Amino acid sequence: MLRTLLMALALCLTLPAAVTAQTLQSVLQTHSDEVAKPGRRTVGVFLDDLVASELPQAVPFLEAWRDREIVQREEDGLFFRNADGTLIDLDTGEVVGATDDVAVSESRPNGGVRRAIGDVLVQFQLSDPDIAKRQAAVDAIARSMDASQLAPLAASVDGEEDPALLATKERLVGLLQASFAPTAEERIQAIENLGSDLSVDTRAVLNKILATEPNVAARLPDDANVASILTPGVDLSEAEAYAQLVAADLAPAVVSDADIREALIANIVDDAVGGAPVATLNSQAARIAAYQVLADAGTVPPMVTADEQAAALDAHIFYLSYVEPEAQITDAARASLDAIETKVALSQAADLGLDALSLASIYFLAAIGLAITFGVMGVINMAHGEFIMMGAYTGYVVQLFVPDYTLSIIIALPLAFAVTFGAGVAMERLVIRHLYHRPLETLLATFGISIALQQLAKNIFGTQARPLTSPGWLDGALVFNDVIAISYIRIAIFVLALIFLALIVYVLRRTRLGLEVRAVTQNPGMASSMGINPDRINMMTFGLGSGIAGIAGVAIGLFAQVTSEMGQAYIVQSFMTVVVGGVGSVFGTLAGAGLIGGLQKGIEWLNPSNTLAAQTYMILFIILFIQFRPKGIVALKGRAAAD
Amino acid sequence: MAKLLPLASLVTAGLLSSTAAFACDDPIKVGVLHSLSGTMAISETTLKDTMELLIENQNAAGGLLGCEIEAVVVDPASDWPLFAEKARELLTVSEVDVIFGSWTSVSRKSALPVLEELNGLMFYPVQYEGEESSRNVFYTGAAPNQQAIPATDYFLEELGVEKFALLGTDYVYPRTTNNILEAYLQDNGIPAEDIFVNYTPFGHSDWATIVADVVALGADGKQVGVISTINGDANIGFYKELAAAGISADDIPVVAFSVGEEELSGLDTTNLVGHLAAWNYFQSAESELNDEWVTAWKAKMGDERVTNDPMEAHYIGFNMWVNAVTDAGTTDVDAVREAMYGQEFPNLTGGTAVMLPNHHLAKPVLIGEITADGQFDIISQTAEVPGDAWTDYLPESAVLMSDWQELGCGMYNTETETCVQLTSNY
Repeated sequence: MLRTLLMALALCLTLPAAVTAQTLQSVLQTHSDEVAKPGRRTVGVFLDDLVASELPQAVPFLEAWRDREIVQREEDGLFFRNADGTLIDLDTGEVVGATDDVAVSESRPNGGVRRAIGDVLVQFQLSDPDIAKRQAAVDAIARSMDASQLAPLAASVDGEEDPALLATKERLVGLLQASFAPTAEERIQAIENLGSDLSVDTRAVLNKILATEPNVAARLPDDANVASILTPGVDLSEAEAYAQLVAADLAPAVVSDADIREALIANIVDDAVGGAPVATLNSQAARIAAYQVLADAGTVPPMVTADEQAAALDAHIFYLSYVEPEAQITDAARASLDAIETKVALSQAADLGLDALSLASIYFLAAIGLAITFGVMGVINMAHGEFIMMGAYTGYVVQLFVPDYTLSIIIALPLAFAVTFGAGVAMERLVIRHLYHRPLETLLATFGISIALQQLAKNIFGTQARPLTSPGWLDGALVFNDVIAISYIRIAIFVLALIFLALIVYVLRRTRLGLEVRAVTQNPGMASSMGINPDRINMMTFGLGSGIAGIAGVAIGLFAQVTSEMGQAYIVQSFMTVVVGGVGSVFGTLAGAGLIGGLQKGIEWLNPSNTLAAQTYMILFIILFIQFRPKGIVALKGRAAAD
Repeated sequence: MAKLLPLASLVTAGLLSSTAAFACDDPIKVGVLHSLSGTMAISETTLKDTMELLIENQNAAGGLLGCEIEAVVVDPASDWPLFAEKARELLTVSEVDVIFGSWTSVSRKSALPVLEELNGLMFYPVQYEGEESSRNVFYTGAAPNQQAIPATDYFLEELGVEKFALLGTDYVYPRTTNNILEAYLQDNGIPAEDIFVNYTPFGHSDWATIVADVVALGADGKQVGVISTINGDANIGFYKELAAAGISADDIPVVAFSVGEEELSGLDTTNLVGHLAAWNYFQSAESELNDEWVTAWKAKMGDERVTNDPMEAHYIGFNMWVNAVTDAGTTDVDAVREAMYGQEFPNLTGGTAVMLPNHHLAKPVLIGEITADGQFDIISQTAEVPGDAWTDYLPESAVLMSDWQELGCGMYNTETETCVQLTSNY
C-alpha cells in the first residue's frame, strides 16, 4: 500500500503540473454527489471533466477510487484517500489525519462504474511499468471495445516486453481493427487474420459486424447491403410484416375492433353515429357499416381490408440489411464466422464428451466400492453413500489440522481409506455377517445404519456444508481452446478413477486375496474346505469396498458440497451404475458409469433448460434398458451367474 | 465495548429469569417449524437458533402479557408434506399461539391448508415469489418487487447487462420468479431469445455443462449476467465451477437471491469477490441496532457465526408479533391479526418496517458485492419498498390485490371488484 502511494506521489511530482489553479479537490467538489454515490449512466460527465482537467493527480485518484480507497469527510464533504486508516490529501499527498478521528463515509463505485473508470484509465496504463496495471488495461479493453482504444493499444504493442501480454495485445489490436480500422481493406485483412479463433470475443466482434436490421421498401435500394430477403407468412408473420409497413409509413394502420368502438363512441351525435341510431349498433356488421360512413365522411381513418393488406404486403419487399454498409466486409465476416461456427460446433461436441467422461468417472468412483460389496459379495449396502460422506468429512477434518492443502489431500486420501475401511469392517463384523443370504434384512439394517450415520454427522459437524478446499494447483481449468475446457479437479478425479480401476482389477485378478474373494463368492463351502477362511475374506472385501467409497468421498467433496446428506445423492446413482453395468463385474461398472454419464449429458444437451427433466428421462431409459438386458451390459456367464 | 455491557447483562438476566416465576402459570407457546435436517438444514437451522435467541431475550425483558414464552421446536426434515403434518401437530397437540417457520415456498404451500383450516398464524421469513396472500400468514421476507425486480434493474441500469441467464432450482419459487422476470425483461426491451432459463434439482452438483452454456451466451458480443435462484447447498458446486472456469464478476456478474452470509460460510470466497446478492439486510449494514444484534448473536452462537436476511425477517416479525399481542392484550389469532396491521418496527438496516394490510412488509432493498471475508459490501440501498403480493408484471395477476384489513380478501380482483377466493388453494 505504502509503495503504491509513494509511486503515485513520485508520479505526481515528476509530471509537469498543468498551469492552472484548478485542483483535483475542486473538480471533485463540483461533482460531489457523483463521487460519493456514483452510477454507471451518470458517472461519464464527471470522468470527462476529470480527463479534461489534465490534472496529474487524476490517474492515481481513479486507481484509488476503483479500489475503494476514497472517502468523504462528513463534516465538510471533502474527499480524501484512505490508506490503511490515514487520510491523505488528494492534491498534495500530505497526511491530514486518521480515519478513526473523524467521521468519514466510503465511496463505493459498483461494477459498472469500475468498468467506466477502467476504460478511462486504459490510455494511462497501457505502457505502465507495472505489469498488473497493463494487464488491467488490456482486460478493460477486452470487456468494452471502442474505436478510440485502437490507436493507443496499437502504439503500446511495440514496447511490450511480456510475451503473454504481447500476444493478448496483438490479438486485441486485430479485433479492434476488424471493427474500427479506417479503410475497408484494412478491416477485411484484419477479419481474415482472425482466422479460426474460437474465442467468445472474436465471435462477438464478427457477430457485431454482421448485425442486421429489418427493412421494407417498394423495391430493393441499390446501396443496401442485404443479408436476406424475408417472405411474409414464412419468415415473419403477416401481421408483423404489416406492422412493419405501418411503422415505415408505407401503409395505413389497421383499424382494430377497439378502435372502431372508440371512434364510434367519440362520434355520437344525438344518439346516432353516422346516421345510424346507437341502439341498432348491436352487431359487428352494423358497427363496421357505421364506421364506414364516418370514414367516407373523412372524420376517421379509413378501414383497411384484408385484401388491401395482402396487396400492400405483395407490393413491398421485406429484407434484413446489415448495419455495416460495405458488402465486402460483411462477406468476409460471414465467411470467417461460418468457418468458426463449424469448429465451435465440433468443439462443443468434444466439450460435452469431456463433461460426460468426467461425470462417468465420478459415478464410477462412487460406484466402484459398491461394485465390490454389492456386485461381488451380493450385500445390499444402503449405507454406502454414508461411507462416501465419512470420507469427505475425513478430508475436512484433516484440513482443519493440516493447513497446507496439497499435503492435507495427500494425507486425507489414505486416511479416508483407513477410516472407512475400519467402519466397513466394523459394520460387517457387527451387523452384516449375521445377515448373509437374507437380503431384505440386510437392506433394512444398512438403511437404518445410514440414517444413524447421517444423524451422527449432523451432531458432530452441524448441518452447514463444510468446505473441502482443493490445493491451488488444482484451481482453474485445462483449456484446449476457447470452447473445450475442463477443470483440473475433474481431471484429477478422472485420474483417480483410472488408478482405482487398475488397482481393483489387479487385486481381484492378480493377488491371493482376489483369488480367495472370487473363490468365496463362487462357493463358500468349497473355499473353506480348501483352507480359506470365508469370514476373514468377507470382512476384508467389505472393508476394501467401503475404503474405496471413502476415497471417492474426498474426491467428490473437492468439487461439490460436503454435507451430511451428500451420500444420498450418490447411493441411487451408484446402484444404478452397478445394475446397468452388470452385477459382479468391475468392467461392467465402468461400462455402466460410461453409459449413464454419457446419456445424462446427451439428454442435457437436447434439453438445456431443465436438468431435472434430463435425469428423469435417463431413469426412464434405464428402466427400459433393464427390461431388455436384465443382467446389465456385462452379464456374467457360467456358474458365477447361476443365482 | 460499552454497548456490550447492557447486552451482556440482558443475557445474564435472561439466564436468571428462566428460574424466576412469571405472573401466569401457562407459558405462551411459540412454534418453530424449521428443518433441522435434509437439504434445507444448511439455511434453516440458523433460524431455529434465531427464534430461541429472540424468545430468550423477550423472556429476559419480562416475557409477554406477564407470561413466559416457550419455544416448541419441531423438525420437518426438508420433507415438504411433513411441514403440513408438523404444522397440524403444533396447532392441535402443542396448541401453539403462533408459528415461525418454513424456508421454501413449497414447504409453505404444504402448510397453508392446515393453517387456514385450523386458523393458525404463521410468520414466513424468506424472500418468495409472491402470487399469494393468505389470511393466516404474514410474509416478512421480500416479495419479488422487493428483491428480484430491483436486482434486475441494477443489472440493466448499472451493469449494462443485455443477455440474461436465469438459473434456478426446480420448484415453485424459482419458476414463478423467473416467469415474472421474463415478463419484466421483455417489457424492458430484452428479446426472448436473449433470456436463457435453466432448472436443476435440489442439491445439484454437476455444473460444468451449465456454466459452459452461460459462457457461450456471450458469443454475440452482448454483456451476459446471471440471475440465480439456486437454493440450498447446490450453490457451493455452482460457485466452485464458476471459479474453475475462471469467470470473474467483471466478465459475467451473478446476482443471487438465496445466497447470504450463512451460505457463504461454507465456501472459499476468494474467487467470488464482486458477485452480487440482493436482500433486505446484510450483516455489514451500518446501524447501532444491527451492531447490537450481531453482538448478541455472536455471544450466543460463537464468534464465527454470521447473521443474514431471513434472521432479520424473524427479528422484525417476532417483535411485531410481541407488540401486536401486547396491543391486543391476548394471543387470540384474529385479534392479533387485526393488531398487526400498521405495526412499525425499526429495521436493522435503518428506517422502519411497516406491516401492510396485504400481510407484507415495507422494507428497503440492498444490493451487496461479495467480499473476500464472506461478507457483503453494500453498494446500493433504496428507501422502503412496500411488498406487493400480486406482481404487476404478469397480466393475470396485475389486476389482483390483497387487503385483509379493509376488504378482508387476499385475492381481490380490482376490475370486477370481487373477491376471487378467500383460501389459498391456488
